[in-house]
Amino acid sequence: MATEIHVNCAATSSDWQDRYYHVDQILDRPGPRTDPSFLAGDEVKDFLRNKCKILVIGAGGLGCEILANLALTGFKDIHLIDMDTIDISNLNRQFLFRPADVGRPKAIVAAEYVMKRVPGVKVTPYYGKIQDKDDDYYSQFNLVICGLDSVEARRWINATLVNLVDPENPESLKPLIDGGTEGFKGQARVILPTVSSCYECSLDMLNKPTTFPICTIANTPRLPEHCIEWASVLEWPRVHGDKKLDTDDPEHIGWLYSIAAARAKEFKIEGVTWSLTQGVVKNVIPAIASTNAYHCWYAFKIATSSAAYLNNYFMLIGTEGVYSYTFEHEKRDHCPVCGGEALEISISRDWTVEQLIEMLTEKQYMYLEKATRPNLEKKVSDLVPDGGEVVVTASTLPFSLSLIVTYKGM
Amino acid sequence: MSSQDSQDIETATTAIESAPDTKTRRYDRQLRLWAATGQSALESSRVLLISGSATSTSILKNLVLPGIGHFTILDHAKVSHSDAGNNFFLEGYNSIGKYRAEEAVRLLGELNDSVKGCADTRTLESILESDPEWITSFTIVIAHNLDHTLLNKLSALLWKDTKYPPLVVVRSAGFLADFYIQFREHTIIESHSETSPSLRIDKPFPALREHALSLEFEKMDSTEHGHIPYVVILVRALENWKESHGGSLPKSYEERQQFKEGVLALKVKEDEENFDEAEAQAYRCWTETKVPSEITALFSDPALSTEAMDSNRSPFFHLLAALKEYTEQCDTHTLPLTSTLPDMKSDTHNYIRLQRLYKTRAEEEKQAFKSYLRVPVDDAMVDSFVKNAHALVVLRGKPWGTFNEDKAALVKSLSAMPKETCIHLALSALSLLQVGDTSVSPSAESIRAKIQTIVGQSTELPADADNAIGEIARAPFSELPNTAAFLGGMVAQEVIKMITKQYVPVKGYCVIDLIDTWTGTIGA
Repeated sequence: MATEIHVNCAATSSDWQDRYYHVDQILDRPGPRTDPSFLAGDEVKDFLRNKCKILVIGAGGLGCEILANLALTGFKDIHLIDMDTIDISNLNRQFLFRPADVGRPKAIVAAEYVMKRVPGVKVTPYYGKIQDKDDDYYSQFNLVICGLDSVEARRWINATLVNLVDPENPESLKPLIDGGTEGFKGQARVILPTVSSCYECSLDMLNKPTTFPICTIANTPRLPEHCIEWASVLEWPRVHGDKKLDTDDPEHIGWLYSIAAARAKEFKIEGVTWSLTQGVVKNVIPAIASTNAYHCWYAFKIATSSAAYLNNYFMLIGTEGVYSYTFEHEKRDHCPVCGGEALEISISRDWTVEQLIEMLTEKQYMYLEKATRPNLEKKVSDLVPDGGEVVVTASTLPFSLSLIVTYKGM
Repeated sequence: MSSQDSQDIETATTAIESAPDTKTRRYDRQLRLWAATGQSALESSRVLLISGSATSTSILKNLVLPGIGHFTILDHAKVSHSDAGNNFFLEGYNSIGKYRAEEAVRLLGELNDSVKGCADTRTLESILESDPEWITSFTIVIAHNLDHTLLNKLSALLWKDTKYPPLVVVRSAGFLADFYIQFREHTIIESHSETSPSLRIDKPFPALREHALSLEFEKMDSTEHGHIPYVVILVRALENWKESHGGSLPKSYEERQQFKEGVLALKVKEDEENFDEAEAQAYRCWTETKVPSEITALFSDPALSTEAMDSNRSPFFHLLAALKEYTEQCDTHTLPLTSTLPDMKSDTHNYIRLQRLYKTRAEEEKQAFKSYLRVPVDDAMVDSFVKNAHALVVLRGKPWGTFNEDKAALVKSLSAMPKETCIHLALSALSLLQVGDTSVSPSAESIRAKIQTIVGQSTELPADADNAIGEIARAPFSELPNTAAFLGGMVAQEVIKMITKQYVPVKGYCVIDLIDTWTGTIGA
């Protein structure tokens, strides 16, 4: 919160001679491709080590890597937000955690570990949600780095940082570095809110999650996945009523597994296993230590201007050889977060509100609001005149989308 | 029984597992990538790291976490002030003056109790002299920023015998780096290729053909008709086509369109998605199923010659020889049939019936394939080989450094991939100039002059050379924590591919520029 005290950990006794020998070679002189704004020498070191305040969101696979590297490169005032506790399946890559830490909050453990290992670094953890914090909180940072696993959280922080930008005040622009991994593939990007393409601009690049039609699950299962979905989507609510399925609870997974296995047996379908059951219901994404190391880079470069920073999207695919692709993702005019222009859509006069919402959800613009329910079956054209504007909001996201609706055949 | 394919239906669908054990839970996210076979290869591996630098410990961190069996750090240096500042696996100021290998082994060991770590503080020079067998006893050897004379000796030693471990050479300075894997031969069964094997719709096996022709589409009710799997629809439509076209397949664009229209005309209701699926998959009818050219190329591999086979130790080449004979002898001249049927619009009964047909036939073809094997091979390996027969890979490498001795190849590479080649050459020049003394930085001029001696005085360097040379001159001895972390990720990933023999490792010199953030590969 805004009331938090900024403790300056400048040049403590822990800064032994030659501690930053390696980093200083880069900071003491420019290279052939260094930006002209780079001020080699003491000024940039002072900023990095004494003034720069950085926020890391997520203390998972990426978060651990980011934290350790920020600390070693000389950032001294690091804040960390994470809402999760440590699970045993994190230990194959989240190297700041040990078996004894299972069950403890990631943010707290990671902060303790890094402060112990890298003397003089202050890591301020917050065990909770990013949504708990307000604009004042986010305004105090020079830079935000995300190692998140949820699209929703990324959209939230992206929109929040875009909203923070005050054109009169350059300090209000907080660069956002975002990354993600899946198996041997990784990606990283730099977002300069309002200046470059933002997270919302590139939503259409996301892979659509695999979903199975409900009629297949209910009537014509063919794959083990269909049996597992039957257990989790249909049987769980039928048997357990309102009790929420906890995909982290081994007993719940065990129950789903036995139900799915019984159904598979009935239909002579092979391949239902415990691991697959867990994979399907939790939407488990394979993850290894090596892929996480890719994108801890950009903070140092942005904070110091010691080298050009990523413009603005980097993808690395390691399944066959090593293949990488760096490109500039462009801003989208109709981006509901940073575009500023209303989105024009043309629909049939017969469309119901439900169809419109379905279309918007499919494009991942918005999710269904309960308040809209009574109107679902009404025609859009009964509610909105041709060329009229509709403002679409979602409770989970801090922005709204303006639609200009025209009707086909007018 | 070694695989699910060979289980009977009762065992395959009723064996209930209990909740996974601690180890399986810990490794869950990676087992989904390389399964138990990959994990067991990792667990029996022994990795040697030469130097305990920040880059070396970053690489090791990403190998210890997924659970290699053993690692040794060979390093006689003591922790310096600067080491203590850039290496996460040293305890800051407290580690200064202690052996770097010992400190790093202790702190890396905390990451995973099941991994055994050793520190060795002898010099590489003495071991190369007196104890080379010790080096060759490892599964893989990794060297970071190793002195070029020692590196040449080490790479020559490890190249001597095909049984010796691969060597990963990693070099970095400031924002720039490259790495190279020296190996003689690397065979991959589970390449995790994204191409899927043929369903052989154009050459249906007898049971599939009979099944497709026996169905009476006309007599089905609309539910049943809407659930005929597309494979069956296509096999039948193609047989009918061949009958009315003197046995030939749809050839011209017009014929193919006509065929597709014919498929859609079989619909009895507009919304029958299975027929839409059949139309979309119709290309399978005129894509001839034959042995893929990459696999045919493997059949002329020198390792399959009679002399080589007599002394050959690896089951891979015996399997490949059997595959060659099988494809020559079997009447379709194709690879053994896949037992994996993709999902398709259908009801349970029709889908499972089709799946059974494929499984039964695949099992028969696998048995036929096995009859060509001259040596006994583990059943699980045979299963995996047959399943991946369409995506087998054999890589043959070159010794470290041959690229720099081939002026013609360098000149070609300088014009085709100037940025990558210049960085590689600048790093090579730095390593030649650096003789243990880090108190004097090499000048840009001396780096350029050294590059000219490598590529030849008459070769003109492209403009990109300035960027590479300037950057190396700026920070010749700088090992940035972030470059170390990035390299740690990439190198560990390639090492995991080498050890597990899954996925395809990079071939050639992988060059990394973390100023403009890109990677590229040269000298393959």
